[in-house]
Amino acid sequence: MAREIWGNVSLEDGKVHYFAMGELHCWMKYHHEEIWIAHCHNHEVKQKPNSEAPPEEIEWQRWATQNGKGHVNILPVFPDLPLVVNSEYALKISPGTRIQIFCRFPIWVRIRLPETTYTLIEMPTIKLSRTWFGTPTEGELCYFAKTKARRDLSNVDKRPNMVACPIRVVNKSGDELNFEHFCFRVERLSMYRNEEGFWADETQIIYQGEDLNSDVIMTGNLPKGITKKDLVSRPRKEIHKSLATRTFKRFFEDTSLIFGR
Amino acid sequence: MGFLQDLFFNINNYITEETLQLIFKLGLIVAISLPLLFLLRGWARRFFTKKYAPHYGMLAGKLVFYPGILIMIFTIMSQLGISLAPLLGAAGIVGVALGFASQTSVSNIISGLFLIAEQPFKVDDIITINNTTGIVMSIDGLSVKLRTFDNQFVRIPNEMIIKTEVTNVTRFPIRRFNARVSVAYKEDIGRVRQILMDIAEKNEYALSEPEPLIIFDAFGTSSIDLLFLVWAPVKEYIMLKNTIQEEVKARFDEEGIEIPFPHVSIYAGSASKALPIEMKSADQAESESGHSPQP
Repeated sequence: MAREIWGNVSLEDGKVHYFAMGELHCWMKYHHEEIWIAHCHNHEVKQKPNSEAPPEEIEWQRWATQNGKGHVNILPVFPDLPLVVNSEYALKISPGTRIQIFCRFPIWVRIRLPETTYTLIEMPTIKLSRTWFGTPTEGELCYFAKTKARRDLSNVDKRPNMVACPIRVVNKSGDELNFEHFCFRVERLSMYRNEEGFWADETQIIYQGEDLNSDVIMTGNLPKGITKKDLVSRPRKEIHKSLATRTFKRFFEDTSLIFGR
Repeated sequence: MGFLQDLFFNINNYITEETLQLIFKLGLIVAISLPLLFLLRGWARRFFTKKYAPHYGMLAGKLVFYPGILIMIFTIMSQLGISLAPLLGAAGIVGVALGFASQTSVSNIISGLFLIAEQPFKVDDIITINNTTGIVMSIDGLSVKLRTFDNQFVRIPNEMIIKTEVTNVTRFPIRRFNARVSVAYKEDIGRVRQILMDIAEKNEYALSEPEPLIIFDAFGTSSIDLLFLVWAPVKEYIMLKNTIQEEVKARFDEEGIEIPFPHVSIYAGSASKALPIEMKSADQAESESGHSPQP
């Protein structure tokens, strides 16, 4: 089912095209020279959605397109904001250690016009809550995601709506790195697909210590079994070779949070 | 045709070549200066708005335009042969008189300069001064202009802003909503906490971090008072405030958690016994008392 979703779809007049991915349900149709799309997630509706029509409380959205045809292209993409990733099990990385972990995150679905690549809509397969990465006075909005930070994905159940991201963490500082929270800039990653599922190219995070920015390098290295031909979507933002960011910044030291005022 | 010739001849008698040259010169000065000033004002406004903030752009535009107009006027006056010396002399005397009369205005201007230097807020921020809350439309030399949310125009002198506490609601990107949640004494506080945290997790405007916080505030007279602290992006604060309180109410109703009204319990004698109350019909009451019941 997952493979059939992706790629070009021709919508027939009046006929509803339906797909489900993760918690996302999406209905599309071509009507009066317009493309109609409705979507919802499991928790947003009371009754289980069916393939015939969206629930009553879900509204259709309409697009009048230039060419007047009902062709769309569906592809997987990364979320539109960085992810603040919380490791379910605290992982401490000793000084001088270099490890590789795998984190899996829910993909987004992009529906666009195939001719112009104009994006009609993007929808998460699993809705993530939002969070703030930074201090009370400055920072950025991110999505909040949990990961088990596995060392190996070979024995893990495949999930068609998840993308596996290999992350190489290098602790170049003299202190222990408490790998609990980090900000993962997924907007700079490419997505690939093979029979195992979706994969991102490798990210390397070089931890220099608490007071210095961490180096975030999109190495471009592909996981085993993945080639450039397997590319399904490009990064949302241009890849910089190295990006010094506050990846492991301590989030908050606001005393008001301690004293509740 | 004869009339036009006569008119031209008559005009020639009054307007000499020199006068024509002067008019032409003045026209040229105005024709060049005015468009140039408008151009410079626009450029200054765009440049400073892009580099700093909209209100700096506005100020820069005014700083370029009004002195430019003055220079143009003085240039025209010097072309007309009007000496500035008597004007300056008169201005000095007038200045002294105006000085006494315009103490407040001067104070406002100086306060405005301090506001620019200190930058407690900028254009498009939402601020609260005394009981007035509104969006900053402009920060001018004498006053700050606000537009309230019910679309009223409020002019606040700069001097007043310097002297008063000003709250900038939108200065920081996130804001915390403090909800007061009261539950009956009989409720399990641990369970209430779990439910509130679940509500915060599911609310689309509430941020996961900073983490929502629940604080046991007080043993109230009618209820146990909790503080439910949740963060949201500043632009979504109102949406959070509306939705989360509705969700708390709905969920409490679903879970059977009582939000008590203010109430007082009266005890007769023993602290553990309630006042005895017996319901009687009107006829029973009459027969027992021997009097007709009061309407």
